[in-house]
Amino acid sequence: MTTLYAMNDHFEPDRQEKVYLHPLPVRIWHWLNALGFLLLILTGFQLRYVDLFSLMSFETAVKLHNWVGFAVIANWFLWFFYYVTSDRVTNYHPDLDAASFFRRYFSQISYYSSGIFTGAERPHKVQPHDKFNAMQKLTYQFVMFITAPVTFFTGLMMWDVKRFEGLIELAGGIRVVNTIHVMMFILFVFFIIIHAYMGVLGKKASSHYKEMFTGYEEPHD
Amino acid sequence: MKSKPQVLVIDDDAVVGRSFDRVLSGKGYEVDTALSGEEGLEDIETTDYDVVFTDIKMPGMDGIEVAERIKAKCPWTPVVVITGYGTTENEAKASVLGVTGFVRKPLTPDMIESITLKALEKPVEVAEAANEPQVVAEELPEQLHGWRKAGRISKNIGLFFAAPFIALGYVIALPAVGFYMFAKFGYEAYQKKRASN
Repeated sequence: MTTLYAMNDHFEPDRQEKVYLHPLPVRIWHWLNALGFLLLILTGFQLRYVDLFSLMSFETAVKLHNWVGFAVIANWFLWFFYYVTSDRVTNYHPDLDAASFFRRYFSQISYYSSGIFTGAERPHKVQPHDKFNAMQKLTYQFVMFITAPVTFFTGLMMWDVKRFEGLIELAGGIRVVNTIHVMMFILFVFFIIIHAYMGVLGKKASSHYKEMFTGYEEPHD
Repeated sequence: MKSKPQVLVIDDDAVVGRSFDRVLSGKGYEVDTALSGEEGLEDIETTDYDVVFTDIKMPGMDGIEVAERIKAKCPWTPVVVITGYGTTENEAKASVLGVTGFVRKPLTPDMIESITLKALEKPVEVAEAANEPQVVAEELPEQLHGWRKAGRISKNIGLFFAAPFIALGYVIALPAVGFYMFAKFGYEAYQKKRASN
């Protein structure tokens, strides 16, 4: 329902118009990140399961993994500085009211597990400054603030073991660092699969993918 | 059932809240006022308002954020944004949030009444309110705006940096909360079934 009106002859775009959700820096970061993580996963598999398949030589896999790793770290800083300096930082703000947060979290679960099949109304109304539902918000906060930095740090330690000798010892040795890195890698693989699947749950299967190229959310019915 | 339409006015300038109260209370409305976005959101938790007015420039949470949160929590509640500083950028920003309308300071008693009526009854129409300077909300000096802006930016960044810690806490709490919710829903379903038998 359109509820907009103007007072004192103000300009008012209609709510049915497309909403600009994803600014250019976010879209650039998103797709570079997607490409980077796919390459990291691919080369990571090659490094870890060297006997299982031979997509490229071990040496090439190591070099590519390192270079792409640095590119993904640099790209993370693009994301970080964009949000720190943008008023859209509110998208990553924590919910300080835990009870309200968990209520919305479980109503989102309920929507994904049943409401979505019966055409129920989406519990979260997407807005440029509040675009993530409770499930997305917690997942992205966890991935961007915890999983990604931990992966970067452990990756850096293993990139130059000599240089980070002290840190590696502090962390409990190279096996511990390697295990943490692999655990983060497993989390990322799951995240990317689920993320790509959730991407098809838009108005049309291609809607959310299109939005990540154009920046505009398609109007909902 | 509510006997009177309930109106909430969120503005750090108490004069504005008092003006709404003075104009609307005598005309069958119940007016609550809040001096900050945070206070207004607390009021919304406990009362089902028929219309909310919020100033756009406030210390702490600004009107855009307030409108955003109200729309996220109760999308059906009409929110009218009071602007005084004439930035169409802020208005454009607020409009994508699905706010019901805008009104520019200075406000007159006639405007207050007609805006409230429009917001409650005919949300798609264009209001033609007079813009007489009878109820004037004072403009703040430019420097104070700067401080407020700086305060808002530092608060935003502070919350951004707090996010990972709070997220970690929520992730740790999630299984326990999930179990509680599951048990609660199960118990409620059981009670419902028992009552129907």
